[in-house]
Amino acid sequence: MSKVALLSSVAALAAGALLSSATLSRADDMAALVDAAKKEGQLTVIALPHDWCDYGDLISSFKAKYGLTINELNPDGGSGDEVEAIKANKDNKGPQAPDVIDVGLGFGPSAKADKLIQPYKVATWASIPDDAKDADGYWYGDYYGVLAFAVNTDVVKNAPADWSDLAKPEYKGAFAVVGDPRTANQAAMAVYASGMAGGGDAVGIAKKGLEFFASLNKSGNFVPVTGGAATIAQGTTPIVAMWDYNAMAARDNLKGNPKIDVVVPKSGVVAGVYVQAISAYAPHPAAAKLWMEHLYSDEGQIGWLKGYCHPIRFNDLAAKGKVPADLLAKLPPAADYAQAKFPSLADQKAAKETIAKDWDSTVGATVAK
Amino acid sequence: MLDVTADPVRRPPPARKIAAWAGVAPFFLFAAMFLIVPTFSLMVGAFQNRDGEFTFDNILRLTQPSILHSYALSLEVSAASAFFGALIGFALAAAVIFGGLPRWMRPVLMTFSGVASNFAGVPLAFAFVATLGRMGLVTLLLRNVFDFNLYTSGFNLFTFTGLTLTYLYFQIPLMALVIAPALDGMKQEWREAAEILGASRWQYWRYIAWPILGPSCFGASLLLFANAFGAIATAYSLTGPSLNIVPILLFAQIRGDVLHDPNLGFALAFGMLLITGVSNFAYLALRARSEKWMR
Amino acid sequence: MNGRLIASWSVVALCGIYFLAPLIATFEFSLRLLRGHYSFEAYRLVFASGDFQSAFLFSAIIGVVTIIVGALIVTPTAYWVQLRLPALRGIVEYITLLPLVVPAIVLVFGYIKLYGSNSILPLTATPFGSDILLMLGYVALGLPYLYRAIDAGMRSIDVKTLSEAAQIQGAGFPTILFRIIIPNIRSSILSGAFLTFAIVIGEFTLASLLDRPAFGPYLQLVGASRAYEPAALAVVAFLITWGCMGIIQWLGNSGSNFSAKR
Repeated sequence: MSKVALLSSVAALAAGALLSSATLSRADDMAALVDAAKKEGQLTVIALPHDWCDYGDLISSFKAKYGLTINELNPDGGSGDEVEAIKANKDNKGPQAPDVIDVGLGFGPSAKADKLIQPYKVATWASIPDDAKDADGYWYGDYYGVLAFAVNTDVVKNAPADWSDLAKPEYKGAFAVVGDPRTANQAAMAVYASGMAGGGDAVGIAKKGLEFFASLNKSGNFVPVTGGAATIAQGTTPIVAMWDYNAMAARDNLKGNPKIDVVVPKSGVVAGVYVQAISAYAPHPAAAKLWMEHLYSDEGQIGWLKGYCHPIRFNDLAAKGKVPADLLAKLPPAADYAQAKFPSLADQKAAKETIAKDWDSTVGATVAK
Repeated sequence: MLDVTADPVRRPPPARKIAAWAGVAPFFLFAAMFLIVPTFSLMVGAFQNRDGEFTFDNILRLTQPSILHSYALSLEVSAASAFFGALIGFALAAAVIFGGLPRWMRPVLMTFSGVASNFAGVPLAFAFVATLGRMGLVTLLLRNVFDFNLYTSGFNLFTFTGLTLTYLYFQIPLMALVIAPALDGMKQEWREAAEILGASRWQYWRYIAWPILGPSCFGASLLLFANAFGAIATAYSLTGPSLNIVPILLFAQIRGDVLHDPNLGFALAFGMLLITGVSNFAYLALRARSEKWMR
Repeated sequence: MNGRLIASWSVVALCGIYFLAPLIATFEFSLRLLRGHYSFEAYRLVFASGDFQSAFLFSAIIGVVTIIVGALIVTPTAYWVQLRLPALRGIVEYITLLPLVVPAIVLVFGYIKLYGSNSILPLTATPFGSDILLMLGYVALGLPYLYRAIDAGMRSIDVKTLSEAAQIQGAGFPTILFRIIIPNIRSSILSGAFLTFAIVIGEFTLASLLDRPAFGPYLQLVGASRAYEPAALAVVAFLITWGCMGIIQWLGNSGSNFSAKR
């Protein structure tokens, strides 16, 4: 055999071996991960209510598939809670230390800067849009939704179609947000969305939103109660601005009593992205990574869709025809989402700061005694 | 005769003082290990910045007008609910203990108070919304049966008044439970003896009952004040966006998902500890004065 | 004395209306799950999930232990401060006020930092250790109420005379505490017990972040996206807690054969 032939056949053999070992190692990796996770035996999650994006089912399916115990901390927690929990548990390896977090977009970069999270790229990494993930793999978007109105149609006969409708006198004492705009993402984004119709930069939009809420407060259309399924059903806040997935979950849970309409506003459609990350101090890193693989697999992404959340790989799945038609039918029409704006990290930060700083002076100032 | 505090003539010999110190040692050990040190291990954050360096910045930021305003508001809500809670709670306990009511009412009231004293947060806020909200049971009842529109007459649950009214739900039972043991100690015989000696009702209260009950009343009021001062869940659910009390600001910095400046949050908590300390000091001064008066 | 009766009945009646109205409103709302007519459907759904009993039992047991430990810590303290160390009154009372203004989340994170699995006292490393930590946390949370109730009761009995009389008869401190003082402040301890028990049953932050299967976290899991079930749960929790208070009251009463007051 000539030298060239020998060399090229060796090269071909080597390439062949490399290629097959690459595919082999993918499956091997996964198997090794599952083994390591099973050895760890448990996973600790935090701030995952069962009715939020159908996490309840995702958690049980993960438990059933891999037989791990899941410790669920603080289901009502906010993003700040999750980050503080990682900080407090730096030296603790017990089941009180969160392994994974699901936080608002803005918290991803700040957790990375504070060295609280570790990088990991899931198998389906490539199909996650670039602007929804950290290039180094520290955090990655998981799902999104848009702000919509949940309307109790037993009490409110004409549902509002847009933010400006809320100012109409027929909606006196009817509208609320979920929580306090200085504390809760849903509420802050509602203020932001209401100002979007006017256009402009993030701070300008936030200021317009604040003025709009100030006028709603003055006319008595805005009720400062924390809105939710209970207050909607009871009739005190028949219109509540919340993420569409929460509105639809409430609609389902109320089972038609009362009937809830979920209305995506005509203008001012704001989308909110949440991100996943693994704690740098996770006591069960293999279980954490397995959880991520589970969430970002087709099965996991569809699981979120069942909870009415748009999974981050939605476009990828839709292109491959993997989205079940019956689920698609349950969501609001795609046209509603066509106008959804995804505020960038910088925009969100600026808007939130403005809203939190100026809320008191602009809106909450009149403390009626 | 009824003065149970220190005897001015004899001083206990050192050995007995040691026994006393040994007696209180478990409390201080417990407080140190499970209250003070854990709290301060986080509260040092009030004096640090994001990178962990020492700074007074956060404390200085507490003097911003918006934050000072929220401390003032917190103080107002706490004082209002403590005052009315103490008054009504006292009346309730006195009614059940001295009022000549059937004997079974006391255990029923005390056990109910136990549960009600902790009925707070989202369930309490919702209960009041369902009662006095715009579509509340009582609101609708007044409108349909008595033709009286509660909301046009100026009442609104989602205001300072409404919040104070809601706070009373756990303040009144707290007062009743705490002052009842003190009322128990008011022996029937004292009142009878006073009457026999010709004392009027007022004189009985001023010279006999008040010296005994006064300190306990002040102490209980302070408890109610601090209880309301630290309460957040009810306020957040009921009037969150419109009443700017300190616990909500704290929540926003440490736990929320909009802002995240835990160091400022800890500074706010530190401010609350200071205010509680000042209130405690004021209460002690008030109490010492009232006790001196009564000698 | 009729004026007195009228006054007391009025106070009780007015308070009764104030306290019962919100409960009735919550109850009425909880019956509305099925459209058009009242039903107990929400309650059926609530009890269908099996965790209710185990969660409640867990919290009830921890509650009882908390009361006992708390009373054992507070009673001698209140006694000695009143009798011999009145100068300490200020600092002791300030300490007992701290749990009211320190957010529970600060407390629990402090516990995790100090007693985490890598520390000298790794309480969080085992379920039993975490239970102990949780119980001690509850003693801390109940301290304001327990101390104030016991202190108020002690002020109304002549601690000094009682102790001296007992000492003259040769009683040591434990005898004085258990056989003289405690029976006389029974109603204080009961008050403190009620307040502490209610706190333990409803408490959520400590239990959830220490990952213990208590009743508070169970209540939270029922969900923010539901309306009728949480209302039903609130009513049930209220009634069951009230029942437990009744049991505590009955136990407290039956143990007494020395009653110094009317």
